[in-house]
Amino acid sequence: MTNNARLLIGSVLAAGLLAGPGLAAAENKSDLDSQPAVRHRLLLVAKRLEATPMFESTINADFRHFVGGGLKLEYHLNDMLSFGVIGVGSASIDTKLTERVLKTLEESDPTPPMGASSGSREPSKTEFSQHLNKMPFHGAAYASVTPWYGKLAAFGKAFVNFDFYFQGGVAFAQLTSSCEASVCDDTNPGAPEMGQNGPVPDDNPNDDPPLNSGFKPGLYLGGGIHVFVNDFMAIDLAVRDYAFTDNPSGADFNADLAVKDDDSRFLHHLFAGVGVSIMLPMKVKRTR
Amino acid sequence: MDGDDQPAGGVDEGEIEMEGDTPPERDLNADLATDTSDAVKIDTTTRDVKPVSWKDIVVVMRKPFLKLGRTDLMPFLATTMNDNMIRHTGAGAQINYYLTDVLAVGVEGQYFAKNFREPFDLVGRQARRLPTVNKYNFAAALNFHYVPVYGKFAVLDKHLIHWETYFTAGVGITQSEVIPRDPRYDAFTNILITPNIGASMRFFLAKWFTVNLGIRDYIFVDKFEPTDRMMYTSASDAKDHAETAFINNVMFQLGASFWIPPSFEYTTFR
Repeated sequence: MTNNARLLIGSVLAAGLLAGPGLAAAENKSDLDSQPAVRHRLLLVAKRLEATPMFESTINADFRHFVGGGLKLEYHLNDMLSFGVIGVGSASIDTKLTERVLKTLEESDPTPPMGASSGSREPSKTEFSQHLNKMPFHGAAYASVTPWYGKLAAFGKAFVNFDFYFQGGVAFAQLTSSCEASVCDDTNPGAPEMGQNGPVPDDNPNDDPPLNSGFKPGLYLGGGIHVFVNDFMAIDLAVRDYAFTDNPSGADFNADLAVKDDDSRFLHHLFAGVGVSIMLPMKVKRTR
Repeated sequence: MDGDDQPAGGVDEGEIEMEGDTPPERDLNADLATDTSDAVKIDTTTRDVKPVSWKDIVVVMRKPFLKLGRTDLMPFLATTMNDNMIRHTGAGAQINYYLTDVLAVGVEGQYFAKNFREPFDLVGRQARRLPTVNKYNFAAALNFHYVPVYGKFAVLDKHLIHWETYFTAGVGITQSEVIPRDPRYDAFTNILITPNIGASMRFFLAKWFTVNLGIRDYIFVDKFEPTDRMMYTSASDAKDHAETAFINNVMFQLGASFWIPPSFEYTTFR
C-alpha cells in the first residue's frame, strides 16, 4: 500500500468514526444529548507545554533505515489544538535489500572496452554504497488537533487516559552522501567522454555524483496516541510521514544513463516513533 | 403506589434506606412483655422483596456491547507492511464466534494480489540484479482472539465511542508461488504452515456493526527459486533444490464486522 493509500484508509476510518455517533444518536435521542460528553474531565493537555524525548525509526525503508533520537516540543492552546516542532538526529543502517545487493556486486569496475565509457553497467560495491544517502537530521513544524480522548481498562486492572492526535505541517531533512572524488569522477554527467580512441557516449551513470544531499523542505503528516501513566506523563506512540524530494539510491532513476536533478522525486519517508511526554506545568485542571 | 408515582425501576420508595433516616429507639423490656400467643410463624423461604439501599445503586455504565454467544462476520482488506520489493493486497473474511465476552474462536481466509514496489525495478535497472521474490496466492487460518483492553473516547468533545483491543493467535496455511527470475522457467508453488499473531482495535458504531483495524504477523519458512536455477530447469527439480528463508509477513488489516444476532439483551441486574 502506498503512503497515499494509507492516508486514504485513515481518512475513511476517521470519517466512519465521526459519522458513527450520528447513527447511534439517531437511535437514542434524549435530554442527555445537549449535555457534555464527559464531566469532571482531567484537562491533561490544555494550556500545557509538552516536552517529549523520543526514539524514531523508518518503516519499510528501501535502502537504508534511519534510526535515532530527538525531541518534540508542543504547546497545547486548549485541549484540542496545539503547535509544535520536532527535531531528530539519526544514524543509518543498511536494509536487508542493500546487504543482499552489495554481496553480489563486483569489487571494482572492469576496464572499459573500446568505444565505451565504462567496463560494466553494474556498479561496483563502492559505487553502489557511496551513492546511497543518509539523513543525519530531520524534523517538522506542525499544527496538531486532538479530536479524540478517552479512557481504557487493561485486563480489568489498569485504567488510564489516552488521546489520539493528528498533525500536519512542514517537514525538513538534512541529507548527506559521501561519494569520493575518485569514485564519482564524472564532472559532466550525460556528456560524451574521452575514450581511448576519441569521444564516446557517456553510458555510465555509476560514476556520476549522486546529487542527493543538502537541505530538503517538504510536507509533514503525523498521527499518534498519548497514553497517560499519571497526570503529567504519557507514553507517546506516533507514525510520522516526512515527505520531500529525494533520490535515496543516488543512481539513475529515469534511465537516461546519467544522474541528474530530474532523478529526484517527491518521496514519503515513513517513521514510527515512541517517546515519553512530560506535561508542564505538572498540575492538571479538571472540567466542571 | 399508583403507576404514575412509581419510581424508575419499580422500586417502592418506602423500601429504600435513605441516608440520614434515624430508626426508632428499641426497648428490650417492652419487646419481652409483648403478648405472642397469637403469633404466626413467618415463612422465611419465600420472601422475595428485600430492602434496597441507595448504596446498592452504583453509577457505572453497563458494557455497551455484548459479544457472548454472538458471531462476527468480518470482510476485510489487508496490505503488506514490511516488504520493500513486493506488495500484497489481500481481500478476505473472518468468522469468529465469541465463547465469552473476551474469548473467541474463528476462521479466516484471504486471497492476495501482488504488485511490485519501486525498489524491485530499481535493483534491476540500477544494480543490474534480478531480485528473488515469491508472491502469495491465498491463506487460511484457525484463530483464537482474546480481548484484554477496552475503553471509550469522546469525539470532538461531543460523542462517546467505545472500543477495545484484542490479540489474535492462530495457525493456518499460506500458498506461495515463485516468480521466476527468467520467464523461460516454470514457477512452482509451496504450501506453508503459517502460525500468526496479531493485535487489533475494534470500534463499536452500532449494536450490529463495528470497524476493526489491526496488524497481523504471518510467520512461515518460504521456499525460493534456487540461485543456480539453470541447473534445475523443471519446476519440480527447482522445488527440490529450493532455498528457504524465515519470513515475517506483516500485514495491516481493515475490516467491517457484522454481528449475528444483530442485537443483544442484558441478562444481569445492572
